[in-house]
Amino acid sequence: MADNLTAPSFNNSYDIAIIGAGPAGMSAAITATKAGARVVVLDDKPRSGGQIYRNVDASPLANSAVLGEDYLKGKQITAAFKRSAAEHICGVNVWHVGNNGEVLFSLEGETQRLTARQIIVATGAMERPFPIPGWHLPGVMSAGSAQVMLKSDGLVSDGAVFAGTGPLLYLIVAQYLRLGVKVKALVDTTPKTNYVRSMSEIAGALSASAMLIKGLGLMNEIRKSGTQVYRFADNLQVMGSDTAAGVSFCVSGNSHEIVSDHVFLHQGVIPNLNMTRALGVQHHWCEQQLCWKPTTNSWGQSSQSFVSVAGDSSGIVGADSAAAMGRICALGQLVSLGLMSEQQAVTEAAEDQRFMARQQRFRRFIDCLYRPIDQHRKPTDENTVVCRCEERTVKDLKQGFAQGGRDPNQLKSQTRCGMGPCQGRMCGHTVSELLADWRNEPVADVGYYRLRTPMRLVTLQELSRFTDVAPAVTPSIIHSTKSSSSGKGSSLEEKPQ
Amino acid sequence: MTAIRKSDVLVIGGGIQGSSTAYHLAQRGISVVVLEKDTVSRHASGVNAGGIRLLGRNIAEVELSKAAMHMWHQLDDELDADTGFRARSLINVAADEADLNTLRSREQQMHGLGYFHEVMLDQQELRERLPHVADHCVGGVVSEQDGYAIPFHSTQAFRIAAERKGALFCEGEQVQQIRKVGDSWLVSTATQQYQAEHLVNCAGAWADLISVMIGDNVPMSYSAPMLMITARMPHFATPVVGAVSRPLSFKQFENGTVLIGGGAKGFADRANNTTRLDYSLLASGAHNAIEFFPIMKTACINRMWSGLEAYMPDNLPVIGKSVRSENAYHAFAFSAHGFQLGPVIGQVMTDLISEGSSRFDLDPFKINRYERKVL
Repeated sequence: MADNLTAPSFNNSYDIAIIGAGPAGMSAAITATKAGARVVVLDDKPRSGGQIYRNVDASPLANSAVLGEDYLKGKQITAAFKRSAAEHICGVNVWHVGNNGEVLFSLEGETQRLTARQIIVATGAMERPFPIPGWHLPGVMSAGSAQVMLKSDGLVSDGAVFAGTGPLLYLIVAQYLRLGVKVKALVDTTPKTNYVRSMSEIAGALSASAMLIKGLGLMNEIRKSGTQVYRFADNLQVMGSDTAAGVSFCVSGNSHEIVSDHVFLHQGVIPNLNMTRALGVQHHWCEQQLCWKPTTNSWGQSSQSFVSVAGDSSGIVGADSAAAMGRICALGQLVSLGLMSEQQAVTEAAEDQRFMARQQRFRRFIDCLYRPIDQHRKPTDENTVVCRCEERTVKDLKQGFAQGGRDPNQLKSQTRCGMGPCQGRMCGHTVSELLADWRNEPVADVGYYRLRTPMRLVTLQELSRFTDVAPAVTPSIIHSTKSSSSGKGSSLEEKPQ
Repeated sequence: MTAIRKSDVLVIGGGIQGSSTAYHLAQRGISVVVLEKDTVSRHASGVNAGGIRLLGRNIAEVELSKAAMHMWHQLDDELDADTGFRARSLINVAADEADLNTLRSREQQMHGLGYFHEVMLDQQELRERLPHVADHCVGGVVSEQDGYAIPFHSTQAFRIAAERKGALFCEGEQVQQIRKVGDSWLVSTATQQYQAEHLVNCAGAWADLISVMIGDNVPMSYSAPMLMITARMPHFATPVVGAVSRPLSFKQFENGTVLIGGGAKGFADRANNTTRLDYSLLASGAHNAIEFFPIMKTACINRMWSGLEAYMPDNLPVIGKSVRSENAYHAFAFSAHGFQLGPVIGQVMTDLISEGSSRFDLDPFKINRYERKVL
């Protein structure tokens, strides 16, 4: 209801608890509350909007138009969300979602508890790790964090190098340039072969030509500004021993070096997996997007029937499809709650489903064009750090693999890779892909880390004060969802993206 | 149809007991196959708190534990591996006069039996060893040889050393049926048949199922002891720490992370290889840690987990020969304190198999010790 809720005035049982107040979570809340569901939305940021519409109605920038119209249109959805009857609990860290519908979260250093009959996970995306030599050095940040600083505090970094691939990278560079910030160079690692391969998907992309033109427009804008642009770069490395001193790379076999204290890296985004993994829902490896995704049916329902996953946390779909998916998930759960007939849900979901199908064709094109190269995902240089928290290199992992660390969990026990405070976020995908190569087996057979609560770090003091936990789920709930997933195989096909 | 796989001994369970047994057998030139339904050290042996504890052992276990402790101090050399073992001493903290009385009567009992490895500490000595202990703590007891090791590495070390000496480990092999035909044990999994003269049950939280197949009933239960570990903290404690009368146990590793245990149990789902945590019990564990060590207020919990562990009603393991079948042996239900015993248990099993007896008194650990009792 109110963005500025400070006192814990929420009830403690709901029809639907939505984790994440980005486009997926907000639209799910709007749809669900319209049909009379009691909805709570929890988010870690002080305002609704998610990453994409972060601070859209409280921008620190004098002229937030520089952030682009795709950003500003977030004002409509945040306004509609505020008008909705959903309770919005902001600035909280959800650290546990149980398979009994129990949600534990930190609010101002105290753990609070609520329960919900249905859960919608809408925790969005995170940037794909960029494990190249030197990526762990101080002075290297993700391009996404450059944008976060821009959106929340209006902070920028002068004379930085941006390197990598993907639409977000070009967008951030353009946003910087519009603010008059000097960008030293853009090093584009999209390979020529991607342009050729993506041509086979161009028919799909033309159907979303407006978005494509927008993308080309950004590229032109960057070139016209006089910013140095290197295309088709590979063998990217961050130079420097203690801190970043710049980047080196090759273009058509010629080496280049650019000196800069600030290096921003980006090669696309992947789903934020920690919540769905800790919930224990089924996941699968998506070769098109090179990431793990929770397996869901056409209503966004996961292998645990009361958990649905919407938006980028289900697989990268973009803001508009995320909003559509949020509505579809909400409709599916309204049926489960007995608040809407299946017939009505099907009718109401139809337009969003058509929209998502169209978007899916565009997404195939984008995924193909901006597919990050193997070299930048699966490091071969022995000294490249894979796990930043525990400082484990390719060499350490190879050693652990030779000693029997054949799957990510064994390798973790063997080497501590993935045991640090990022809880595997920054190394999980790299480890899955490296092990698949070393075992010469599909990534799907290699698997991912077994993750557990807490999904965010929680202090010992906060935990020590928490005692109010009711007895949890009976195992039969887990069994029934498992048997339904095998019994109704057709309803659990991979969801549209 | 695949050919039957024959060995002198078949060990069921690839935890530390099974791996250590395989190592000791192989070392004496006895051929051994280990069947593990998941992967070696996947469950309790790979995810326990790693305590190497002689302090406070049940009298029945002291001799075994002392022998094991001696082995731990040379284990890395013996196995040519890094188990992560560190002798750091273990201190149980006394919070009040009642705790001190408990310690005094324990001391009297131990001295009477000729054991002098547990040494009482007064408040001053306690504070010298643990400068960050809370003011209200009045003393404690220390065992100097105690410490910790890294469970996954230790179990793997036994496995690799056993393999070097010819033992065969078969992972992903869940036992479906056990038959005794003549002098042979015939064991089948989904894909393979095994035959051996001797059968050893080291199946941990699943050992009662194996036991019944062998022909021994046993009142074993299983549960999910929980642990949590913090992000790195400044160094504040060298010894491993426990408490006399509270469920508290923690150790700070060399990298600064602090592992907090204490025996609180979550919920075990053995059929699905999973556990669920009980957050209110973890909360009281957190509370105890802060009460005894206020510096831990600022600690950040990074991970929480539990493993599947087997228990007997008296919290003592089952170690010894089957009572109903010839050439079958048990080592399971260590009730959350079997990790330290691992090295010696392999030796005990090997003695039972190759010599028919052990130098240790195994009477308290007989599988049928409850048969005439009303539980």
